[in-house]
Amino acid sequence: MKFAFYPGCVSRGGCPELYPSAVAVAQKVGLDLQELTGASCTGAGVLQESNLFLGDCLNARTFAMAERLGLPILTICSTCQGVMAQARYRLQDEGYRQKVNAVLADEGLVYKGTVEVKHLLWVLVEDIGLEKIRSMVVRPLTGLRVAPFYGCYIVRPSKVLGYDEHAERLQALERLIEALGGEPVDFPGKTRCCGFPILTINERNSVAMVAKHTWDAKERGADAMVTPCPLCHLNLDGYQVKAMGYLKDRIDLPILHLPQLVGLALGIDPKTLRLGRHLIAVAPVLDKLGKVAVKA
Amino acid sequence: MRITIKVRRFNPEAPKPQPYWQDYTLEVTKTSTVLDALIRIREEVDESLALRCSCRSAICGSCAMRINGHASLACKTKVSAVVDAHNTLTVEPMGNLPVIKDLVVDMTPHWHKVRAVEPWLQPVGPEPQGEYLAPNEAMLHLAGVMNCIMCGACVSDCTVLEVDSNFLGPAALAKAYRFVADPRDGMTKERLAKYNAYGGIWDCTRCYECVQVCPKGVAPMDRIMAMRERAIGMGLKDTYGARHTLAFEELVEHSGRLDELRLPLKTFGYTNIPKLVGLLPIALRALPKQKAPSPFHKPIPEVKSFQTTFRKARQAAETERQAPTSQAHHG
Amino acid sequence: MQEYHVLVIGAGLAGMRAALEAHKQGARVALMSKVHPVRSHSNAAQGGINAALTDRGDRWEDHAYDTVKGSDWLGDQDAIEVMCKEAGQELISLEHMGVIFNRDEQGRLGTRAFGGQRRARTFFVADITGQAILHVMYEQILKSGIALFEEWFCTDLVVENGRCVGCVAMEIRTGRVAFIPARTVILATGGLGRVFEPSTNALICTGDGMALAYRAGVPLMDMEMVQYHPTTLKGSGVLITEGARGEGAYLLNKDGERFMARYAPTMMELASRDVVSRAEMTEIAEGRGVDGCVLLDCRHLGEKKIRERLSQIYEIGLDFAGVDITKEPIPIRPGMHYQMGGIKTDIWGRCWDPQGKWQGVEGLFAAGECACVSVHGGNRLGANSLLDTVVFGRRAGATAAQWAQDKPLPTLNDAHWVQKTETRIRTLLARENNGDTVARIRWEMGTTMDQFLGVFREQEGMEQALRTLRQLRQRYNKVSVRDKGRTFNTALIFALELDYMLECAEAIVRSGLERKESRGAHYRRDFPKRDDANWLKHILLYWRGENDPPTITYLPVTITQWPPEKRVY
Repeated sequence: MKFAFYPGCVSRGGCPELYPSAVAVAQKVGLDLQELTGASCTGAGVLQESNLFLGDCLNARTFAMAERLGLPILTICSTCQGVMAQARYRLQDEGYRQKVNAVLADEGLVYKGTVEVKHLLWVLVEDIGLEKIRSMVVRPLTGLRVAPFYGCYIVRPSKVLGYDEHAERLQALERLIEALGGEPVDFPGKTRCCGFPILTINERNSVAMVAKHTWDAKERGADAMVTPCPLCHLNLDGYQVKAMGYLKDRIDLPILHLPQLVGLALGIDPKTLRLGRHLIAVAPVLDKLGKVAVKA
Repeated sequence: MRITIKVRRFNPEAPKPQPYWQDYTLEVTKTSTVLDALIRIREEVDESLALRCSCRSAICGSCAMRINGHASLACKTKVSAVVDAHNTLTVEPMGNLPVIKDLVVDMTPHWHKVRAVEPWLQPVGPEPQGEYLAPNEAMLHLAGVMNCIMCGACVSDCTVLEVDSNFLGPAALAKAYRFVADPRDGMTKERLAKYNAYGGIWDCTRCYECVQVCPKGVAPMDRIMAMRERAIGMGLKDTYGARHTLAFEELVEHSGRLDELRLPLKTFGYTNIPKLVGLLPIALRALPKQKAPSPFHKPIPEVKSFQTTFRKARQAAETERQAPTSQAHHG
Repeated sequence: MQEYHVLVIGAGLAGMRAALEAHKQGARVALMSKVHPVRSHSNAAQGGINAALTDRGDRWEDHAYDTVKGSDWLGDQDAIEVMCKEAGQELISLEHMGVIFNRDEQGRLGTRAFGGQRRARTFFVADITGQAILHVMYEQILKSGIALFEEWFCTDLVVENGRCVGCVAMEIRTGRVAFIPARTVILATGGLGRVFEPSTNALICTGDGMALAYRAGVPLMDMEMVQYHPTTLKGSGVLITEGARGEGAYLLNKDGERFMARYAPTMMELASRDVVSRAEMTEIAEGRGVDGCVLLDCRHLGEKKIRERLSQIYEIGLDFAGVDITKEPIPIRPGMHYQMGGIKTDIWGRCWDPQGKWQGVEGLFAAGECACVSVHGGNRLGANSLLDTVVFGRRAGATAAQWAQDKPLPTLNDAHWVQKTETRIRTLLARENNGDTVARIRWEMGTTMDQFLGVFREQEGMEQALRTLRQLRQRYNKVSVRDKGRTFNTALIFALELDYMLECAEAIVRSGLERKESRGAHYRRDFPKRDDANWLKHILLYWRGENDPPTITYLPVTITQWPPEKRVY
């Protein structure tokens, strides 16, 4: 299965552990990734605040590149997934697409409106299939209670993200956790906001969201939380210490990137998965799985 | 179809008032709405079940409640669309607002916020004899916002309100946009300056909950984003939100990719000592783990041609924005 | 509690317009509603608001003539003249307040066609006109700082020595009862649709103001004139705007025939509502219906027009009938929609007549659907109801403010009035559960009214309805309320409303029995002709107590420049 790989900025920036673990998992499950090296940032919804059209142009540029390769786009970032899905939705309008294509013309690019954008999560569940994943598990996550944290951009707006045709996507993380041998932990905040987008604007509110979700999951017995979004990871992992300060209580909930969790079950070396790089130590998870903690 | 509705109830006059679940099992047809079912319960089973409802056709905004955990209008939700495999659904009062009784919440905090955005037209200059002349396109655009029936569904499910009751919230801000985008209003900049403050447009976390639950397609978050765009466009740039956005734009323009190290520095300003010091603890924790972007930020290949596209796109948007705008004038 | 100059009960368009005008005149105003103002039923007026603008080449006289003809000559022409003359100015002031309105290519207010009118003079905001105006009016209320009693239910008008001096009301949230003293009270409580089952009306339309005024001593007028709207959904009674036909939608029978050609060859689907509703019922009765309905076909309008100008109807079709109106016709039938009659007022909104031609209560005013000026007579034209609310709402507000200026209140016995309501509530709550419920009585009342006081009527059926209503009143007097609390007790509210509804229902039947002719919406199979010689007059009912039939009197119809003609569309 071949995809145009769009890793996004954060998987090699603030979450440098994501890119290598995603590539390792892709290899393991037999995904052929052709990286879109010339693609730019999606705008992450931020660029869209000052200039929606500009953001759409940048994404159309990426879409045109993938279209030229004749491949669907695979992303490992929920935010990129959401922002691209939105742009793709708006670009279905032919008149609008023409305006955007006029901008792309100088680079010899044109977007015809045919691209598909899929997050690794959906590719694993829908294209590879849970049966196949289950058969590949060599280190089942038996006994591991994992709280799925979807965040926002991979679930909303559901119409734009194709949930009308794929209602099962609402349970994708839970089904995947089960396929890996783990036990999903339900908690109220699983499709709520992690707070990251307002971190620099209203840190108090942002961290309060981290506190709420990690605390709720922990209280329901989670050993770890998994997220398909590196921006959620930045906040849930990076600001959990601060959140503990707010709550004046311990949480210490390890936050795993989606490919890290999958990789663990598929037998990929924790070191390749860069599990030592998190601010909240992942060691207890590995201990529970009977593995030795690794250093970065 | 035989269904069970689990209703979250609360009676403030009970000796020890505590919310509790009550199950009602009843027969409905496949076209029944959740409101039809609740009215049936109230009329035939339990008169004490309190809820607000009136028009039954999604126009009065009375019957917003949480159905299976998400806010929507009971009158617009078909039972058959929301029951689970056991023909069961749950109904709770809206979130982020105090419960008065059963499914009835106190919307006063919300109405205060609506009032706080000064939701009335403020034209400048003398009133025309006849109507203000205004482009139909601008009016149709506003009709999309006027579709808001103030049901509160977006308020109920807003993620920011969950942690900060000072946030004006999606409905009040959508209402604010209705004036910001009204070609007849003369206070656009003053309004935006006001909405720029704490609790206003920059506190939205862009989570799309309001867009998702709005039963009338108002898309409050999109309106908030449109106000951010306008605020920046009108030169209101001195908020961390605006600075963050502008820094983001500049960094992406420079290298095609986001430079996460410089983003907070540019947002706060290199001389903003208290904010920068505030970043230190997390930096000190992250660096030893190597959980940080590389200080040697690499641009994407062929960044020059990317920049051409970037600037062309920005220019095109700018030109559109300055095209003969939709200002109203005296007829 | 502090004394208000003007207390407005009901916060739909008429109430809010009245409150704003009284406030503008410098009066101390309070606005009370049993729901939050933006929940009011004015929301539901989808299609638009009529006005003849001179600069569009229209004439108010033409609008007035169409209204007179629509009313089947029962409307008072002096009142209709006032409404049509002031329409333009009211429309522009709504625009200045901030109502957005659809525009034409020049950016001026745009129009659409509506039923019963020879010219497109209906101004609109997509198909959310009522909502768009209502929310703007509420914005103006917020701006004014007028005192608000939101979610307060009026239980009594207080009348001392022939003058209304305030009201008693219950705060729904707490169950607290209070006397609110006011030099004048304006009733703007809306319609009584829920007296019928089904109805297009919201559940809050229970005729409260009509019953309150009636019992306080003001006559109800033209109560037999109940409008059935031609396009409502079967079962729920949800409304499909006349705007759909205004935009060009067809009415078809089961053979796909545009049957209106046989009933109104000139105006076709846009004949007046009573005419179209009767045509539909005739088609259905003669076996040319589809499952008790006829079909409304919008398909030829095209998806773009439907999405842009009938967006709410598109949604309603999907949500409430499961029909995509861009792809298939939607089954519809006539459904109870509007009460032309109501509290007798003069053109200033006063519920008393200084000339003494009819008896009323000083200090009391009414406007909007609960009032009967009468501008709608036997049949209201589409998009005249919004106009009625703002024109006569404003006039009532202005007159009340002026009247109140030099009329301070006498010393009042607040406690007595509060006690009276308290006793009523305590009795209802204390009564043993006897098996009969408010819901059951309301259902029987509603279906009885729909059966016998609908599009077609006759003596025997109406007499049967009256007997049923008398029995229901007996049962009501023993009914219990199964929620015994005071906090947000909706069961209690429904019980109080049912009392009002039964009063209104009986008034409708009594008037219907009285009028022995067919005129406008009042069509009697046993008297199928209009009879100007005997019935070119209004019927007024005066309340004489729960167990006695009302006193019936008449007032001549005011004719200014349009003598009765044959009514052909």
